[in-house]
Amino acid sequence: MASISIRNLVKRYGSFTVIPDLNLEIADHEFVVFVGPSGCGKSTLLRIIAGLEPMTAGDLYIGDKRVNGVQAAQRDIAMVFQDYALYPHMRVYDNMSFALELRGTPKAEIDARVRRAAALLHIEPYLDRKPKELSGGQRQRVAMGRAIVRNPKAFLFDEPLSNLDAKLRGQVRAEIKALSQELKTTMVFVTHDQIEAMTMADRIVVLQGGVVQQYDTPETVYERPANQFVAGFIGSPAMNFFPVEWRDDRVVLSQIGAAVPLDDASSRRLQKAGNGVLGIRPEHFGVVTDPADGIAVNVKLVEPLGSDTLIHFDLAGVSAIARVDPELRPRLGDRLSVRPQPGKIHLFDGNSGEVLR
Amino acid sequence: MMDAPTTDRWIRCLNLLQLVLAGIIIMTPTVWMVLSSFKPSFEVTAYPPTLIFSPTMENYLQLTRTTPFVSYAVNSLIVTIGSTALGLLFGVPAAFAVSWTRISWPAILTLAARMAPGTLFLLPWYVMFRQVGMIGSYTALILSHAVITLPIVIWVLLPSFDSIPRSVFEAAQVDGCSVTRILWRIALPLVASGVAVAAILAFVFSWNYFLFALVLSNGDTKTLIAAAFNFIGEGSTQWGALMAAATLIALPPLILAALVQRWLVSGLTLGAVKG
Repeated sequence: MASISIRNLVKRYGSFTVIPDLNLEIADHEFVVFVGPSGCGKSTLLRIIAGLEPMTAGDLYIGDKRVNGVQAAQRDIAMVFQDYALYPHMRVYDNMSFALELRGTPKAEIDARVRRAAALLHIEPYLDRKPKELSGGQRQRVAMGRAIVRNPKAFLFDEPLSNLDAKLRGQVRAEIKALSQELKTTMVFVTHDQIEAMTMADRIVVLQGGVVQQYDTPETVYERPANQFVAGFIGSPAMNFFPVEWRDDRVVLSQIGAAVPLDDASSRRLQKAGNGVLGIRPEHFGVVTDPADGIAVNVKLVEPLGSDTLIHFDLAGVSAIARVDPELRPRLGDRLSVRPQPGKIHLFDGNSGEVLR
Repeated sequence: MMDAPTTDRWIRCLNLLQLVLAGIIIMTPTVWMVLSSFKPSFEVTAYPPTLIFSPTMENYLQLTRTTPFVSYAVNSLIVTIGSTALGLLFGVPAAFAVSWTRISWPAILTLAARMAPGTLFLLPWYVMFRQVGMIGSYTALILSHAVITLPIVIWVLLPSFDSIPRSVFEAAQVDGCSVTRILWRIALPLVASGVAVAAILAFVFSWNYFLFALVLSNGDTKTLIAAAFNFIGEGSTQWGALMAAATLIALPPLILAALVQRWLVSGLTLGAVKG
């Protein structure tokens, strides 16, 4: 068990810079999720921590030890790969015992640890099977078992759920979360799936272009995104954005000049900036009965999800989505009045995308 | 216009015709050789060729009476097994290293060496081996034949190693394996069929290689294929004995290939790991 400290990390491939200058502190026992779009550098960062990829500059500490240049084999970390990377010629038992055998662990202890991990992951019946005789979910568990038998300083997960079907993914996600609470070991998990990030992490690192956009708890990242990128990336469906400006002592949608009913604090922030981008999550649109209280929109698509319903509409030249009560039973072409819920709107700088404070 | 089943039938017939033609072209010389080895001497070169004849072992008996055939066979085995072992010893780690580092020029270099005509090496080798007194030694023959076996081993195994997902090696690294241990514990078991194929192909190519043995061997170390050349004289050629010798020489590679036919095909097409 150990903390992980990344200081001024730079990663370049030739003249192409993947990570320009990154600093990150992961506390002992913490479950941190790296999330971001493809090519944001999250897997590269994980591989650098694992020792599978050299860094161009900077320092990396696992616990108190600086591990720059230390081989992956000597870092005492365990990793679960996207394709599980099980040894195809070994039985499940051997896959799990291999690392312990390399370290010269006594046979009895190896056996005890393998069986304990197998029991924890419910893979005892498969110990004598080869990986090709297992389903995707079983292979995934074996890959986790191979990691946990070692009792390493940290676990690294590189998109381990992306090859599973939706149902199994949800199940394994919960199992990993439960495992992290039981093992109390530092865990770093890479995903492009924001639901995985939100549900599993103690803290989320949102990456874009090799730069940390925000590093905070899932709640904070969701409720108080640091910038427009984070706001748009976290949350499904994504946050709606509308260009707004301060005109005639009120906040209006830039394109159509329609007034946006905002609370005083938000209005003051925009007044100070002059213009910006208004962000509203789909669930923070309210449907109002009095047209004077909201902005009139035409429903152009309805997506009933059961628990709630998504309605699509155009507002100020922007295609927007609102999550509404299914009891409302909106229909295609209905004219509704919507308004942002008080205190639930986000304002960003029109140029930098940073949140307006 | 033909309907689809008729077209399929025609395609199947044409495929069969192609296979039969290819089979005839490949098998005719072999059948000719085997039949000739059982013909009396005067019938071997008879024109038109005789297809119905009284089979005789005369040529085989002459072969064993007039030549130390078994000694030549032993020489061939020593040189072939030695050069195959040498090829595997260096070729397996070399192919793994090329796959691991993705630096391909060493493999291309060995392939270029293999593609170059044997005479290119022969004269310098002859001079070098003569100077160190190794002409006629097994060592010289094994070393020279390694030029044949090494590229085969490297190029047969390279796609095998490449087909192993990189993440499997990385998982082994994270588990605590050194690169050498990854080769022995992870990669080699996964390319076992490829190693078998490489070994068989190296064996066959080395066994059949004529030029180096002709120049670098002596009476004691002459291989079968070089010894068979003795039957071709300036004035007369003993075709019957030559055909008997050729039949016997062709037997080991043919038997070997027949025994591991299925493995050979799967080893050459590969992809044994994923899935």
